[in-house]
Amino acid sequence: MPNEQKAGVLQGTLDLMVLQTLATLGPMHGYAISARIEQVSSGAIQLNMGTLYPGLLRLEQRGFIRAQWERTETNRRARYYSITAAGRRQLQTERAEWSRMARIMQAMLEGGAG
Amino acid sequence: MRFRLLEWWQRWRETFRHRDARETEEELRFHLEMAELDAARRGEDVREARLRAGGLTHAAEAVRDQGSIRWLSDFLRDSRHGIRLLGRSPLFTVAAIVSLALGIGANTAIFSLIDTVILRTMPVQEPDRLVQFAGGRVLSYPLFRQFGQELRCFTDMFAQSSLGRRDIVFDEEPEAVKAEVVSGNYYSVIGVSALAGRTFDPEMDRNPTPVAVISHAFWMRRFGLNPAAIGRTFRWNGRVFTIIGVTPPEFHGMTAGTLPEITLPLSMAGEILEDPAWLTSDSMSWLSVMGRLRPGYTIERAQTEVSTIYSRVIGAQAEHSSGNEFSRQQILAQRMPLEASGNGFDSLRSRFAEPLRLLMGIVALILLIACANLANLLLGRATTRRREIAVRLAIGAGRGRVLRQLLAEGMLLAIAAGGLGVLLAWWLSNALVVMMSNGGERIGLNLRPDVRILAFAAAISGAACLLFSLAPAIQATRQGLQPALSEARLGARWRWGRGLIAAQVAISVLLVIGAGLFGRTLLRLYAIETGFHRDDVTLISVKTDRAGVQGSTLRRQILESLRSMPGVASASFENAALSYKGSLYGTQVEGYTYGPNEDIHVQVNYIAEDYFGTLRTPVILGREFNNRDTATQAKVVVVNEAFARRYFQGRSPLGKWIEFKGPKRMEIVGMVKDIRPRCLREEIPAIVYVDAVQFNRPQSGVYIVRGAGIAGIVDSALKRVDRHLLATDVRTLDENLSRSILRERMLGTLAGLFGALSLILVSVGVYGVMAFQVARRQKEIGIRMALGARPVQVTGMVLAETAVPVGAGVGIGLVGALGLTRLAEKMLYGVTPTDPVAFAGASWLLIFLALLAAYVPSRRAAQLSPVETLRCE
Repeated sequence: MPNEQKAGVLQGTLDLMVLQTLATLGPMHGYAISARIEQVSSGAIQLNMGTLYPGLLRLEQRGFIRAQWERTETNRRARYYSITAAGRRQLQTERAEWSRMARIMQAMLEGGAG
Repeated sequence: MRFRLLEWWQRWRETFRHRDARETEEELRFHLEMAELDAARRGEDVREARLRAGGLTHAAEAVRDQGSIRWLSDFLRDSRHGIRLLGRSPLFTVAAIVSLALGIGANTAIFSLIDTVILRTMPVQEPDRLVQFAGGRVLSYPLFRQFGQELRCFTDMFAQSSLGRRDIVFDEEPEAVKAEVVSGNYYSVIGVSALAGRTFDPEMDRNPTPVAVISHAFWMRRFGLNPAAIGRTFRWNGRVFTIIGVTPPEFHGMTAGTLPEITLPLSMAGEILEDPAWLTSDSMSWLSVMGRLRPGYTIERAQTEVSTIYSRVIGAQAEHSSGNEFSRQQILAQRMPLEASGNGFDSLRSRFAEPLRLLMGIVALILLIACANLANLLLGRATTRRREIAVRLAIGAGRGRVLRQLLAEGMLLAIAAGGLGVLLAWWLSNALVVMMSNGGERIGLNLRPDVRILAFAAAISGAACLLFSLAPAIQATRQGLQPALSEARLGARWRWGRGLIAAQVAISVLLVIGAGLFGRTLLRLYAIETGFHRDDVTLISVKTDRAGVQGSTLRRQILESLRSMPGVASASFENAALSYKGSLYGTQVEGYTYGPNEDIHVQVNYIAEDYFGTLRTPVILGREFNNRDTATQAKVVVVNEAFARRYFQGRSPLGKWIEFKGPKRMEIVGMVKDIRPRCLREEIPAIVYVDAVQFNRPQSGVYIVRGAGIAGIVDSALKRVDRHLLATDVRTLDENLSRSILRERMLGTLAGLFGALSLILVSVGVYGVMAFQVARRQKEIGIRMALGARPVQVTGMVLAETAVPVGAGVGIGLVGALGLTRLAEKMLYGVTPTDPVAFAGASWLLIFLALLAAYVPSRRAAQLSPVETLRCE
């Protein structure tokens, strides 16, 4: 199914986006993460819950993030996610990999096509 | 990769831990509210925002999937549901598990025997390159050597021979161990190296060395795995042997069923058997021989080479033969076939392969009947659960999901029954080995359930589970969405039930016919006239291979000692016939000329005085031997009726002479009634009895004692003669004869047992189907009775409905039996494969039992009160 394929391609990038968001902004809840990603991408990436929350759970299962119930400013109960040390290391590796890949693609598309 | 593993580990754990679904829902609700709040604040469409965030149920489901291993958690939930359901009807559960366990256990037991006896290869290097000489035939030592020197097709050849139980002395007391001799290259050719110490080397063939290798089992039993066992010495016939090594635990020798404990070099055989002829005579054939194919050689190419050399050998033998054309032809007709033998030397295989295959077929059919019963029971449950299933299908559960749920219940039953079945198989296969050993020493088969056996049990449990739970499950989910078309559904159910009854009855007819055939075979065998009274006659084999005592003197002493014991009526001795196949002598008979193609050999039995008296075999003509027939008197013989029939066409043989090789003529002085020798199934051969005293001949033989409770006095009788004498085998004539029909007894007993089991299962099956049928048709029956049908008519209706599928099943079974019983013809005796008694008996038995099983629910139907039945709908 094309939908699943898209999800597969997205999965890696989603992980990277979530880790990056948590690394820069500190602990946040699920909705805030999706809002942030939407904002940064100028509305290009809109995550629905069916993609976001399984993704968060997967990152949690892999030990990259940690989840905890806390109170919001408006005193509501919400689950807050924060990045772990392993998550930071993973972010670094992934980021380096991503930039390398991006440079290659850049070079490919600009010079190589000829 | 590491993180991926971590993720799976977490999912595995959470599968069993139950993630709290409410937390997920709370988190998702919070997300939705925030999205709406945000949208409202920005002045956007709230519903649009909601849609963008996605459905809550779908997201919760996705989280649940990520949080666990989907199929596993489904299976666990189904299993818990299944266990609850099964727990609600414990009687059903126990009955189902027990009948299935019986089927699985029987199959696994027979398979484990087939596996060890027929299928499994030895734990040796490249077993597929090993080739054995002549399906169990044995070679003489000189022939083994000659092949070894001349054949190019083998890189190496080795010889082996089991010596049975022998006495060895470690400290003071002799102990009996299972011994064998092997050529020096044995271990290196098969590629088994010592677990501790060393094994033999080829040098030992040229240079006899008194050393021994012991098996792992013996090392454990006798020495408690103490390494100091290596270097220990023991005495055998006064000769001192040193233990030099232990073989690995998985190696049990090359002959299935023997499990040798001590192995000695073949070159020592002359000494330990106290006769150098074992290693020099080309007429003593006693070695099993195998070779390892040279790379590039096929078994066919090797066969050509062996045949060329062997035809030269028998050509020379025929030339020097003194017999007539027939015996020359007999010599020349000998063949030396090669045979792949990765599973070791053949011994049990030839005897038990056929009965075991047959039994495998029988138990497979039993399992089918058990599965049919379970399918029927599960179908009944699925029908009563049809509302639940319909609801589940209606609210959108996939059909596959519901199927899996129904299968889970079957799987639970299969797992429980499989486990129980393995235990049952362990017990049953051991019981079978005891049966195969037939009162003698237990056949040494290694029956430890291993991976193969467990895999087999798991495989048939799984297959059975699919068989009995998939069909009802498909049936139950098929019309899931049709609202309560109950009449049509019940019609389908009844078609199923009829099919099951017919199939079960057909299979059971087949099994009962088989049981009938084998049972009648056994009866026929027992009814055979043996020519002697077998009550209270005991055969005793005594180990007398001791230097220093003259054979005949010792024999006389032993006989005297036996006769003086309390309870002994008479005692005698024979060299062969009852106990072993006798020697065959080329014989000339007065007034008889052999045709060119006639066998000139006659069985000869050396007997001591009072032989016929001890067996109570009547002397029909003339006299038996008496104490005037001494070595210095003219030699005389006694013959049996078969001999007179063959040589004198039934006329009196008295006064005629016969001669064996050489010119010594012997007069026939008596004729006795035919004695059926060892084997009940063999034709009675012509036998010449000669007096052992007069000929001073046989060294070996068997003592025959008439009297009660002989087994208890044998040892003291022997010890009185010499304290080193040992009885190696004590059995009654009855046991002796039973041994000869072991296969028939085994098949008769087991076929009868399984036939009876199938009858029980079929009765339960018919009862189950008909009881359900009656319960479902209460309303109809009530109407019929309200309209005036009498109870007898209701009963008759139910019975008539049962009779149709039963009749069809019997018909199918009979046709199937006509085709199948012919395959077992060789194992029958005195009955044809289409024996009308067995066929008719089985048919009537099944019809009777099936109708009886249907009668119980039909009575219940007839006793229903019309008013009540109509009210209950």
